[in-house]
This record gives sequence, C-alpha cells and structure tokens, in this order.
Amino acid sequence: MLDLQGYGPRLIEGAGVTIQLAVLSLLLAIILGLLTATAKMSRNWFLRRTATVYTTLIRGVPDLVLMMLLFFGGQIGVNAISDMLYYNYEIDLYINFNAFAAGVLTIGFIFGAYMGETFRGAFMAVDNGQIEAGKAYGMSSGLVFRRIRFPQMMRHALPGLSNNWMVLLKTTALVSVIGLTDMVRVAAEASRATHEPFTFLIPVAVVYLLIASVSEWIFARLQKRYDIGFGGQ
Amino acid sequence: MLDISTWFNDALAGNTIFTADTLGYYAQGFVTTTQLVFLSLIAGLIIAVPLAIMRSSKHKWISLPIYLFTYVFRGTPLLIQLYIIYYGVVFIDGIQESFLWPILRGAFYPALIAFTLNTAAYTTEIFRGAIKATSQGEIEAARAYGMSRGLMMRRIILPSAFRRALPAYGNEVIFMLHASAIASVVTLMDLTGAARFVYARFYAPFDAFLFVAAIYLCLTFAILYFFRFLEKRLLAHLQPQTP
Amino acid sequence: MAATPTPLEVRNIKKRFGDTEVLKGLSLQAQKGDVITLIGASGSGKSTFLRCMNLLEQPDDGELIVHGEPIRFKTTKHGREPEDWKQVVQMRAKLSMVFQSFNLWAHMTLLENIIEAPINVLKKPKKEALEHAHALLDRVGLTARANAYPAQMSGGQQQRGAIARALAMDPEVMLFDEPTSALDPELVGDVLKVMHGLADEGRTMVVVTHEMSFARDVSSQVIYLHQGLVEEAGPPDQVLGNPQSPRLKQFLAPKY
Repeated sequence: MLDLQGYGPRLIEGAGVTIQLAVLSLLLAIILGLLTATAKMSRNWFLRRTATVYTTLIRGVPDLVLMMLLFFGGQIGVNAISDMLYYNYEIDLYINFNAFAAGVLTIGFIFGAYMGETFRGAFMAVDNGQIEAGKAYGMSSGLVFRRIRFPQMMRHALPGLSNNWMVLLKTTALVSVIGLTDMVRVAAEASRATHEPFTFLIPVAVVYLLIASVSEWIFARLQKRYDIGFGGQ
Repeated sequence: MLDISTWFNDALAGNTIFTADTLGYYAQGFVTTTQLVFLSLIAGLIIAVPLAIMRSSKHKWISLPIYLFTYVFRGTPLLIQLYIIYYGVVFIDGIQESFLWPILRGAFYPALIAFTLNTAAYTTEIFRGAIKATSQGEIEAARAYGMSRGLMMRRIILPSAFRRALPAYGNEVIFMLHASAIASVVTLMDLTGAARFVYARFYAPFDAFLFVAAIYLCLTFAILYFFRFLEKRLLAHLQPQTP
Repeated sequence: MAATPTPLEVRNIKKRFGDTEVLKGLSLQAQKGDVITLIGASGSGKSTFLRCMNLLEQPDDGELIVHGEPIRFKTTKHGREPEDWKQVVQMRAKLSMVFQSFNLWAHMTLLENIIEAPINVLKKPKKEALEHAHALLDRVGLTARANAYPAQMSGGQQQRGAIARALAMDPEVMLFDEPTSALDPELVGDVLKVMHGLADEGRTMVVVTHEMSFARDVSSQVIYLHQGLVEEAGPPDQVLGNPQSPRLKQFLAPKY
C-alpha cells in the first residue's frame, strides 16, 4: 500500500485547490474568450485592435512569465492603490492580495486569449443563413446569440475548447511556483522532505491523467449533444 | 570595444535596474534557454520519427506502448515530469558512482531530458496525424509500382507527412520555447531565471518581467516567421497556381 | 379610405455594393391580400430588393413603411442605418421571410423551429404555440416529421416546414425569396401547392420566383425587374400575356 507519510490529507486538499482553480479559471477564460471573439468581429476599429493586441501578446509570452508578472506585479499594484487611498483620502483600506484569486485571474486572463481564437473560428463557421433566419423572424441580436449563434457555434468550438482545457489544467501546476498550495506544491515539498519523490509525484501525475480522462468523456458527451441535427448521430 | 562599453554604460546611466551587470544575466539566460530548447527539439525530433512510425503500426503490441508514452507525457504537466526526473535521478541504482553523475547532478541535463521526452511525445502525435492523413491514392500508386513497405514509408509517406506536419510542428516549437520557462524552477538561470533574479534583487516585477516578456515575444515572432517561410518554400507545390 | 393601413410599402429603394448600383430606385405597395411576384434575370436585383424590405440588406436610400409605420433611418460613418433597431425587430416580426435555402435552424427539430420565434419573440404561451404549430404541420403535410431535424428531411419537406415556421408568426406579409430554386424539380410541386393555398386564403405575399406558372395563376401584380429598375409592372395577363418591352419578350420566350 502506498505510504504517504502523513501527507495524504494535504495532497487531497491540494488536489481540491487544483480542480477549483482549473474550473474557475476555465469559466473566466470562456467569458473573456467570448468577449474577445465578439470584439474581434466587431465593426469598431478600437475594439478589434485591442482584442488582437491582447491575443497576440498573451500567446507570445510564456505562461509562467505572465503569471509572475501579474502575480508579483499585481501585489505591488494593490499595495500602491491602498497607499494612494490612505495618503490622499485617508481611507485605510487593507486589500488582501488573495493568492487563489490571483491565480484564477491570471490563468483565466491567459486562456481567455486562446479561447478568443477558438470562439472566433467557431462563430465564423456558423452558416450565415441560420443567423439571417433569426433576424428575419424579429429576434433581437441578444436572442439570436442565445438561441442560434451560441448553440451552433459550440459544435465547432468544442474540440478547441477541450484542447484548451487540457492545456489549462496542466498550466495550473505552475501556480505552485508562485506560492499557491496546489497538489504539485504539496508533492514537491513532500519529495524534498522525505527524499521519496516517486511516492508523491507519481500519484499526482496519475490524478492529472484521471482528470484528463474524465474531462475527455464529458467533452465527448457534450460534442454529441451539440452535434444533434448535423447528421452523424 | 571600449567605446561600445562606455556608450553602453552611458546609455544605461541613471537606470538602477538595467545595468550592464543585470543585462549580462539576461544574456546568459538567453544562451541557456536557446541551448535547452534547441537541443531538446533536435533530440525530440530524432526520437519522434521512429515512434510515429511505430505508433501508426497496425499491430497493437507495437502501437500501444507508444500510445501509453504519449498519453502519459501529454496528459501530465511538464513541471511534474521535470520534478520526477530532477528529484528522481539520484535514485537510479549506481548512478552516483557512474561517470554520468557529474553531469546529471546539475539541473541542466535533467531539464534537457524532461523537455526532450515531452516534445518527443507531442511530436510523435503530430507526425502520426500527418502519416494517417496520407492520401490512399498515393499509397496505392506506390504499391502499384511494386514498392516495399519500407521504401514506401521512406520515399512517399514520410516526405509528404513532414510537409503536412510543418504548421503543427511550428506551434510545438513555440510551445517548447514557452514551456522552457519552468527550467528556472529547478534553479537554472534561463531567461525566466534571469528575470526572477532581477525581480528578487530589485523588487521590480514590472521591469524584470516585462523586459523578459518582450524577449520571448521577439523569439516567438522569429520562430513564427521562420516557419511561415519554410511553409512557403516547402508547401509551394500545394498552392493553387496563379498564371 | 382603407380601414386598415397598407401592410407594406416601399418607396424609391436604392442600394449599391461597392461601385455597382444594384437597385436604382424601386417602389412597391402591397395591399391586404395582394400577391406580388418579382421576376427578372439573375442579377436584376430582385432578391436584394426583397431583402431590403425586412432590412437584411440596408438600402442606401428610400422609405420603408410597414403597417403604416415608417422605419426611421439615420446616417452614420458606416452609411445609412436604422435609427432604432428595436423598431426594426418589431417590424421584422410582422414580415416572415421564406428563404431559398430554407435556413431551418439545424440544431432544432422541425417543431422546435416552428415554436421558437412565437415563444421568444411574440411571447406566446408555449401551449398555444404548440397547438398552432401542430395545426400548421398538418396543413403543410408534415405531421409525421414534427420531431425530425432539418438534416433528416428532403429539400421539399424543409421548405414546407419553413413555410409553416413563417405562418406561425401570423405575419402581415410573407416574403418568399426564390422558394423553389434550390429544390429538385419533382419536389417543386408540393411547395407551390402550399403557396397556392396561402394566396387563396388571402395572405399578403411578395414572391421572388422563376416559376412563371405561379406568377400567372396566383399573383395580383407582376413586376419585371431589369438591372435594378422596374421595366414592366401590372396584372399578370397584361405583363406576361402581352409584354411590351423586347427584353421582357425575350425573357418570357420559351427556351429550347
């Protein structure tokens, strides 16, 4: 039997952190991705340009560097704001720079750029006649989005979405470097303390594989659901 | 030489963070990053070609082990793989007495091994996809001319598969460059390591990380344009002819 | 004086795509019960004209009055645009369009297609929408296909389904954009039969078509367009039976 030398509960806690971090970041990334895709397809020059700069810059720089920039920089930024509030307005506001929230914001912000590309391609793959039919029947643009554009887009977006999720999941491991206690950090600490790296690192690797396999199954089911009506069912 | 260095110091005068000293760290980091990425890509590529052929095999007992390898290495974070190799290398029997120990004791070679295996796994799957996409017609034509399996693989399937794989492989190269940033986690002074050092010394995250981000961005664009150029050269015959 | 306002009136519609002026000032007035057919060679602008009527294309000039209510326009740097998109949305709900390529929503069953806009746009109760939908399905002969997805239906079935979807809106005016052009010849008859029935019960329709028999038998007015202008217009026996312009004569001449 695997002897985790008392690190078991902490590893499970760490796994919880990993999963929560990944899921919340995914939600943020999806929202940012939808906004980015919309901005990229907008008629407004400024919105289009901003979205392009965002996706290009984010995809051109390593996740870890962005993470450190936003994480360590964010800390200083938050301190500067609270200092400014105190000196100028005598508002004594203690803003707690929450590491977990910062992790979610950072990963969500990074993957929003990747999601933006995925969604843009998927939106463009929707047949224009389907959209026109919605408009012709008096649907507002919000309704067209909710009832037609989004459900039909998802079919094209899911493969990319699934791929982004798998990469995002693995990226969460990097938060261990900047101080969040996810399962990788617990395993690395335990490895150093006990000099038994395999005992801790291999089970953690297996947990990643498990999460990946479960998500693959979920995505396959989602794909089936959104493929309805497009033949091949 | 003296002129340049005085000019350099003048240009940097008044800048407390970007001195010739810290820029030296970035330069050293650039060399380490380039070495790591370049060597692991080359080694990974060499490993990936036979693995991709085996992975495409009809025999389960050949393709399955390769699939397991790619599944594990693509399904787990590179950081975990790096830790396992970096912390685990000590436990290989007799390693500490062998001639390899002086090399493996440092962080560079464990990182290189982890990166190589990781990129080999991704590249194997990229090539497998490209091999699978070979048109049936081309294969039949090769058979009709009496080519053996080996000859067909060497002369028909692989050359066209490599070209098809080029865009995806370009992405893998960029991915590897970005992934190499975690080398700094195991104390290597790569580009990111240099930035972390400067950050720690001056507590100036924006200067330290924005500067290194700009370097990575330039490298990314250089790789991007290199692969676009390659694609244009190698895939020219697939483009519609304009009279 | 008419007791009810004119369902649809367009005046002096102009439209250009880049350097080409495709509509050079077209007008049309559909009174209640009118069936107006637009005919003309491809490229004459008849489909664009129809699409300007519910603003799927934005006309560069001209007026659009639906049920006595003029659509307000404004000029922006992107060109002429409706001033109030809410007004456009309300207007479109009164004009149902039937498309050449059906455009049934692929991710919904036929029944879901039919109740979608009544429930979400007209805010009808679901029960009422379903009852109406079943009656319409019966009418177009597709009761058995209610739960089929568009991809599982033939072109003729899809187009009849699309007509049922249009009828579910209780539209003031129905716009048909070459409804039979994408169909195999043997499927055209069923769709035309449904459209005949609609004309007989007094529906107001504007139809872009290549089916001369339909234009002759059903319409109250035929408009022949040529290069974005009305070349000839009038009752069918006049326009089709006794064409004046050489171009229309040639257009109507039997093809060998």
